[in-house]
Amino acid sequence: MAFYKDKYDVIVIGGALAGMSCAMRLAAAGKSVLILERHNLPGGMATSFVRNGIEMEATLHEMMSLGKEDEPLYIRQYLDEMKVAIDWLRVPEAYELYSPADGIDITLHAGRRADGTWVCADEIDDKYPGTKKEVNRLLETCRKVYESVLFLNEHTLSKAEMLLKHEALVKTAGYSAKEVLEKSFHLPEEVVKILSAYWIYVGQPISTLPFTIYSFLMADYMIGGSYVARGFSHEMSVAMAERCEELGVQFEYCQNVEKILVRNGRVYGVRTSRGDEIHCDYIASAPYPNTVYGRMIEPQSEVPVQARKYANAMPMSVTCFSVVLLLDQKPEDLNIHSYSVFSSDIPFDTDVFWAQGRNLGGWDYLTTICLNYANDEAVPEGMTSLSITTLPLPESFMQVRPDQYFDVKRSVAKEMIKRVSSHLGVNLLDHIVEIEIETPVTMSHYTSDYRGGIYGYQHSMNNSVVARLEDVEKEQYIKGLVGCASHQLVGDGMACNINNGKIASKMILAMMEEQA
Amino acid sequence: MKVNGFLKDVTGASRVTKARRELIEHGDPNNIYSDPIRETAKELHPEVTKVRVIDVKDVSPTARKYRFAADLGDILPPFMCGQYCSLDLEIDGTVTTRPYSICSAPFEAREGAEPFFELTIRNGRPGEGFVSSWFYENVKEGDTFKAHLPFGQFYYEPLRDSKHIVGLAGGSGITPFYSMAKEIAHGTMDADLTILYGSVSTKDIILKEELEAIDCDRVRLINVISGDEDYDGEKGFLSADIIKKYSSEDSTYFVCGPLAMYHFVRGELEKLNVPARRIRMETFGAPRDITKAEGYPEIKPALFALHVIRGIQEDLVQASSLEPIAVALERAGIKNNTRCRSGSCGFCRCKLVKGEVFVPAEGDGRRRADKENNYIHACSAYPLSECTVKIPIV
Repeated sequence: MAFYKDKYDVIVIGGALAGMSCAMRLAAAGKSVLILERHNLPGGMATSFVRNGIEMEATLHEMMSLGKEDEPLYIRQYLDEMKVAIDWLRVPEAYELYSPADGIDITLHAGRRADGTWVCADEIDDKYPGTKKEVNRLLETCRKVYESVLFLNEHTLSKAEMLLKHEALVKTAGYSAKEVLEKSFHLPEEVVKILSAYWIYVGQPISTLPFTIYSFLMADYMIGGSYVARGFSHEMSVAMAERCEELGVQFEYCQNVEKILVRNGRVYGVRTSRGDEIHCDYIASAPYPNTVYGRMIEPQSEVPVQARKYANAMPMSVTCFSVVLLLDQKPEDLNIHSYSVFSSDIPFDTDVFWAQGRNLGGWDYLTTICLNYANDEAVPEGMTSLSITTLPLPESFMQVRPDQYFDVKRSVAKEMIKRVSSHLGVNLLDHIVEIEIETPVTMSHYTSDYRGGIYGYQHSMNNSVVARLEDVEKEQYIKGLVGCASHQLVGDGMACNINNGKIASKMILAMMEEQA
Repeated sequence: MKVNGFLKDVTGASRVTKARRELIEHGDPNNIYSDPIRETAKELHPEVTKVRVIDVKDVSPTARKYRFAADLGDILPPFMCGQYCSLDLEIDGTVTTRPYSICSAPFEAREGAEPFFELTIRNGRPGEGFVSSWFYENVKEGDTFKAHLPFGQFYYEPLRDSKHIVGLAGGSGITPFYSMAKEIAHGTMDADLTILYGSVSTKDIILKEELEAIDCDRVRLINVISGDEDYDGEKGFLSADIIKKYSSEDSTYFVCGPLAMYHFVRGELEKLNVPARRIRMETFGAPRDITKAEGYPEIKPALFALHVIRGIQEDLVQASSLEPIAVALERAGIKNNTRCRSGSCGFCRCKLVKGEVFVPAEGDGRRRADKENNYIHACSAYPLSECTVKIPIV
């Protein structure tokens, strides 16, 4: 009797979105696949929790890259192709940006009109007249870059073809979002700020955020809008887990992979904390390269110097601090009128916000999500489900010791609640039914991700997705080992991670073919 | 496309590629891995803590207080008053777990020459609380255990709760309030606590001397005795009248005790129009008799076949309709993760592949998508037919 087969084609470490996406595609291609997930739930951070019978989203979750059913974007297409059924609810607006120091309070909606102009360009023009043409031109540029990136996700082209067919991508690839926004478009400062609000969804200030990524994000959200699952993010995770098992994936929970076993430069298996040694030809790894090369590869002598240089050089992106609240009144009674509000208590400046991420608190840029406006039935009647989130850098929490932990997280959470209370003119502290405070330590506890990171490595100019794509094959330092999470090619986000998993499966299938 | 200024540049892609290659080339070639956040997470939530009994004391004619210190170089994690500890117990070859509220104060696990935590365990009545009785009769100084802590949401949350706590306790439900009382007296918890402790007679009061020894004007203890007409003090149950008498304008009510008391107290608090957010209930233990639970179907007690899938292995065991699946697994010697044993924490989440179970609504902590996809919490799922479950390999 045994719990595991003698050998698998592929072991996937981590049953989060990327891992499941990778596993289901490999299984659909007839490969034997084992997922080892350390938690007792699928989905990693795409999850929810229950307090006194009431379910709450773990944090600010909205799913991009779906689009409407009749105009599916690439992730909806992929989930359909994989036969993953999820009950999606459309989020009403793109976002509200509230930055009183700039005189900004505006709500934008996704969507394009029949004539190709963008709904949000009209909304901006209402408040900042005369900007419509330039905003439309900017979003058209974003759309072209977006379509090129999607095309290149599936195909390779010569340089000449690239320039001919993907001019917008090629010509902006060397520049940051800030450079392109400010120098190539004639937009008032406020409008640039309004159109930079999504920076938080990549955690990169626009001065170092490649325009490529900026375009992708803007076009995707503004074409397709965003969605939440009716049964919380956990519905999506369970749907994918169920589909994996239907396709023959062996999915084991509560299995912590301690070691990745390597011989002669090639993986041959893993060892779990329980002591099981399980063999395979390929591994898709959710643990960050820092963790993989730093403490998982056995023996350590198998780690090439180049791999260490790579992991040590990669700039770590953000982690998460989130206050999840259940409040005892309806949103309207608390002056809450939008699903997602980005707010700034100082003049909007993504460089300043990002630098504040090194500190413990004092964060001026907050994201407030009210689930009622996307999924009213998920919240008990007469109540409000609200989360307040910011994305600090891991160093903000590196000095926090266990003995200070409860006090630190409460004082930071209190400050965040007070900020939002002052925006709303309602003291939210008087209305709390349930509160959970999630910190970088919480992220680490549930996922064991390196330093509580949630977004992988920075999408910075010196770590651009264009450059990542160019060198992705060279960076397979150990044969048979492929990264499969937000530290990989397309970076962070739920949709991106499903794509990261898809890409990992493609790489593994290609390696298998080559081997044969 | 109309291009402005530098957007004529077509060398961007090679420039960013070069920049990234340079970045990597300058990476440290040594193993400099360190993850302080992971270390903190592990100290706060150790998977297991090895502990040793260093003292046993009678705290009522039927209850004992056990003091545990970390064993073999382990360290105790910090916890909050009201949280619980789950102990792995091996009784006559059967491995099970039990959750017990920690009755000592958090500071006692952080300070002193030998930091410790304490659990108070009552000798069960005949036919009830078998494990607690075993514990009471058998555990002695020097015994070692695997402990899992801290767990639970029954703690004072200053961002949510008002500063005046009314603790409504029954039986061994006094333990979290003893923890709070000591932490307040020590000056490390900023709240006022009034404990209304319901007992049948003064003999049943647990931790009597210990509670009386707390000398702090922020802590008040009122015993409420239901079975002694001659008692000189508050008599009867924890009724609305008594609760009101000791409440302030904005009190937060923490309720911990037997299930029957919850039902009674909930009704009494309703009479006082206490808002939901001011009531915190600890839910503890599986129902004594599942057939009496609301919604339980009309079936005769029976033994069913239970197929247990772990990985590619399948085992066949027996399960009684009167016991949760978690207990059937324990009886069969199949290891299984349980913590709260009330259906709420979800540690024993597993998939019901086939068959039918009854899940009591009280304390059902499952997520919506789990309910829809036949995931169960094994500690609160009672078989109604032959069943197949897929559980994690432990």
